Amino acid sequence: MALLELRNVSSFYGAVRALEGVSLHVEAGELVTLLGANGAGKSTTLKTISGLVPAASGDVLFEGKSIARSGPEAIARLGISHVPEGRRIFPGLTVRENILLGASNRRGVPRRQLEEEADRMFGIFPEIQPFAKALGWTLSGGQQQMLAVARGLMAKPKLLLLDEPSLGLAPLIVQNLFATIREIRTLGMTILLVEQNANMALSVADRGYVLETGHITVEGTPKELLGNEAVRAAYLGGH
Amino acid sequence: MQALFDNFQVLFQGLALGSIYALVALGFVLIIRATNVVNFAQGDFAMLGAYAMVLFFTGLSWPYWLAFVASLGAMAVFGVLFNYGVYYPLRYRAFLPVLISTLGASIFLQNTVLAVFGPQPRPLDKVLNADGVTIGGVFLDSQYLVILAVTMLLVLFTYVFFEHTLLGKKLQATSQDKDMARLLGIPVALMISITFVYSAVLGGIAGVLVGPILFVSIGMGSTIALKAFAATIIGGFGDVTGAIVGGLLLGVIESLAAYHISVPYKDAYAFLALFLFLLVRPQGIFGEKVSEKA
Repeated sequence: MALLELRNVSSFYGAVRALEGVSLHVEAGELVTLLGANGAGKSTTLKTISGLVPAASGDVLFEGKSIARSGPEAIARLGISHVPEGRRIFPGLTVRENILLGASNRRGVPRRQLEEEADRMFGIFPEIQPFAKALGWTLSGGQQQMLAVARGLMAKPKLLLLDEPSLGLAPLIVQNLFATIREIRTLGMTILLVEQNANMALSVADRGYVLETGHITVEGTPKELLGNEAVRAAYLGGH
Repeated sequence: MQALFDNFQVLFQGLALGSIYALVALGFVLIIRATNVVNFAQGDFAMLGAYAMVLFFTGLSWPYWLAFVASLGAMAVFGVLFNYGVYYPLRYRAFLPVLISTLGASIFLQNTVLAVFGPQPRPLDKVLNADGVTIGGVFLDSQYLVILAVTMLLVLFTYVFFEHTLLGKKLQATSQDKDMARLLGIPVALMISITFVYSAVLGGIAGVLVGPILFVSIGMGSTIALKAFAATIIGGFGDVTGAIVGGLLLGVIESLAAYHISVPYKDAYAFLALFLFLLVRPQGIFGEKVSEKA
């Protein structure tokens, strides 16, 4: 049984049909990437999984149970952590507070334990430790991305959804970020990664899907996708 | 010398009256931050709190403390009802429909109280039996002292609650980015309910405290709310500290101007101050310029 399975999912973004019959699956322990151009429906796919956008038809199964009719709060409590596009750091809360709130989906965890876990996050993301007491909006884009991932990990998720983590970051910071993603993988985390930077994404992924105007068009291992002429031409700068 | 004492006394009364504006303004700001809606029924929360006290204390002759606790309990329940009756059904709508909904609620509440209690203003006892104390020639009314003390405690409590508890942080997160809060598993509907309850209780306390000074009447809330709203703009729209400072400042300006210039224009000074602020510093004392907002 797949950890996550989308069966023929369609959904709307406003009045526009953003997804049309999308089927995909993510196995426990896998890092799967979802590639595609702007507006192909990558973000909508993640939002449909996490419940921000309701599925109009089809089904979303998490650990074999349907979550297609559940709200984002309930889905977060089941163990899906969505790090959305644009980081969405709480600007008026400190870095440490942002991290602590990442555990809001877990009930009855004592404050002291959360503080210890936050300290461990600073171990994984040493770049943001000096800013623990700074307000979220004061961080640079790269630091905010690190913070967003740290906050996402505080949920102790069974599945981590990462939406465009490299967007707007300098190449060196992107390298740094993907090194961290590899590190998180070694902790046994299952990740569904949405990226425009296909080369980078395929360098860490086990499998990938290509999404075009709401449809899945290609599926395969990084090697297969890199070998596919159409994929190379469209997403890997092979023109 | 007497003139100096008189000025101190007026200043003291201004701070007490300003405290009431500050409490209602704080309720305003908390709701604005959580829902992006200006609650036009905010003043009526104070009016309802005062009438609850009239009912429990004057009407049913309960002991003062019990009537006070019961009034606050009633206001807490009312906060939940207000959320689910006035805000929640319209939560995905734009600013204007919700604003009109709160305006409708205000009219409904005032007329309901009018139907139940009648049009005559009701007196309300002071919290303490003592008249007050005279320190160095300045008379300090006991009710004004109570107002200042209670406001200070409430402001302190609000600060600790929002800045030092995880629940307070979740409320702040909800006001800053609702969708992100939901993605983290924060129950946003509950957070907004808590905000309305807190705001209703603050308003209720303000009403009970100011009742003995202004008389309890149907329209008392509207006057207080207008001043409190002016206070939020003077302090910096949506800013918690600004609401408190703006409220106190407005009370002091109003009292001093009434004493030195003219009493009948008492209610006009607040708006004159608002007008001047909008001309000179439209973002308020603590507000940032709109262009700086992300």
